[in-house]
Amino acid sequence: MRVILAEDSTLLREGLVRLLAEEGHEVLAAVGEAESLLKAVAENPPDVVVADVRMPPTHTDEGLRAALEIRERWPRVGVLVLSQYVEKRYATELLTGETEGVGYLLKDRVVQVDEFLDALERVADGRAAFDPEVVRQLLGRTSHTDLLARLTARERAVLAEMAQGHTNAAIARRLHISQSGVEKHINAIFDKLELSGGEGYSRRVLAVLRYLGS
Amino acid sequence: MRDMARRGVRCGVGLMTGAAAAAIELPFAVLAGAALLPVAAWPAGRRAVLRPVLVCARRLAELERARLRIWLGVRVPPPHEDLRALRYVAGRWALGLLGGVVMLSAAIGLGYGLFWLYGWILLDGIRDPGSIALSSFGGFFLLFLAVQGIFGVAGLEGQWARQCFGPRHQEELERRIAELSASRAAVVDAVHDERRRIERDLHDGVQQRLVALGMLLGRARRSQDAARRDRLLGQAHEESRRALDELREVAWRIYPTTLDEAGLRAALETVAERASVPVRVEYHLTEEPERAVATVAYFVVCEAVTNAVKHAAPSRIIVAVGGAEEGMVHVAVQDDGCGGANASGSGLFGLARRVAALDGVLTVISPPGGPTVVSAELPCA
Repeated sequence: MRVILAEDSTLLREGLVRLLAEEGHEVLAAVGEAESLLKAVAENPPDVVVADVRMPPTHTDEGLRAALEIRERWPRVGVLVLSQYVEKRYATELLTGETEGVGYLLKDRVVQVDEFLDALERVADGRAAFDPEVVRQLLGRTSHTDLLARLTARERAVLAEMAQGHTNAAIARRLHISQSGVEKHINAIFDKLELSGGEGYSRRVLAVLRYLGS
Repeated sequence: MRDMARRGVRCGVGLMTGAAAAAIELPFAVLAGAALLPVAAWPAGRRAVLRPVLVCARRLAELERARLRIWLGVRVPPPHEDLRALRYVAGRWALGLLGGVVMLSAAIGLGYGLFWLYGWILLDGIRDPGSIALSSFGGFFLLFLAVQGIFGVAGLEGQWARQCFGPRHQEELERRIAELSASRAAVVDAVHDERRRIERDLHDGVQQRLVALGMLLGRARRSQDAARRDRLLGQAHEESRRALDELREVAWRIYPTTLDEAGLRAALETVAERASVPVRVEYHLTEEPERAVATVAYFVVCEAVTNAVKHAAPSRIIVAVGGAEEGMVHVAVQDDGCGGANASGSGLFGLARRVAALDGVLTVISPPGGPTVVSAELPCA
């Protein structure tokens, strides 16, 4: 994969560059602020952009703004946003509009190298990757708890996995159940949440997430 | 007795100058009144007339303050507002005239009292010694009363000045309340800034290091090559040490525990040891100040030293802590760097707020080219 990194902490940026290089990915550019990120993407659009939410000069949400702009101008480029905290507002903003190839991870998730690389690949392929913690908070804070309350514990687990952007096969592997079992759970979830099943995984995932984040 | 006489003479002179001043103040008061009368009901006109009147009144009041201080030994603060100066001048001329009358009485009394002397020296035969003796006695008695009057009028002068110039109790309270509200708000702001700084310290320092450490370990675990794995583990080990150092630094910046354990002196010496520039600590306090004062003093020194090292490139820094006077702790940090420190910059401004919260004063003297002196006066309750 061809990757562009935007992270203001030199330490972390260098670490990510090394990690990606070791994994055989090509880092086209590694920058420290949003302005340079947009410039780098314009010059040479990558498969995926990894951007920190907080970047100079104001350390508020420059990275997120840049990510949204990239989504708009280069829809084919996947965007993985790293955030210090779960910011529901940011997650919701990323979920509005056409959101295939979007990810939102907690920065600390980078430590779980396997998970990070997995998320990066999913986003680059035009799928979604949402941090389990983000999903947990969106599930916990949704205004539709009455509907969620109908779900069984197992269905809830499947929903959480699904919302993170995992495929049915991956969910089956992660929860140690059969793939047909997963499909059964998913249909039950859609029935209970009164969602009409859509086409393809990420759209269903996003429908769920959007529903939860609303 | 000699003091008494000296004071009497000074007051006498004060009363005479006061009488002379009344000769200016009375016409001024009359003219000002005459000028204000026609425009009393017309605000714009009133303001236009008042302006020069108030300027004159303030000048006269200043002269009066000097006279009161020099001759009558009465010290009053400068008038709060120009209107009060006007009120003072408008009423003062009466006291001036009274002072003049008293001084005249003193002169007459003295004259009559010395009448027998005149008779004895200049006249050959005294026809009526009884009346001379009587008038002498009367003269001396009048002199005695007049001297009493001198002190009395001096007292009145002081009272009138204090009544006009001194802040009223109510005003004093209001001013104090305003001061306290401002400093309370400043403390809240300062705490808020502090917290933000701590959050940033933790995030930009400690957390990044820990994430980097985790990544190194993650890479090591994924590595197939033993040599590379060892190298990554070595780097991770090093990184963990750095993360610990960083954490210690942050904890120290949040609160120096030495301050509680070993007192201000030890904490300041630690600051000196940690600085990258030679720092000399001159500590002259005989006893440990109370904790609030010690904490603020410590932060003043800490921030000033950090600022100096960061911005001024000094070759040495002197930290002096002493009791400037009873009930005050005086802290000064001097560096021989390039100067030009900005007292309204966030660090120094935050310090000023912390110092103000204790009713202290922070001053920053930093001409371009140096030297810079940051000093704080902290009252001990």
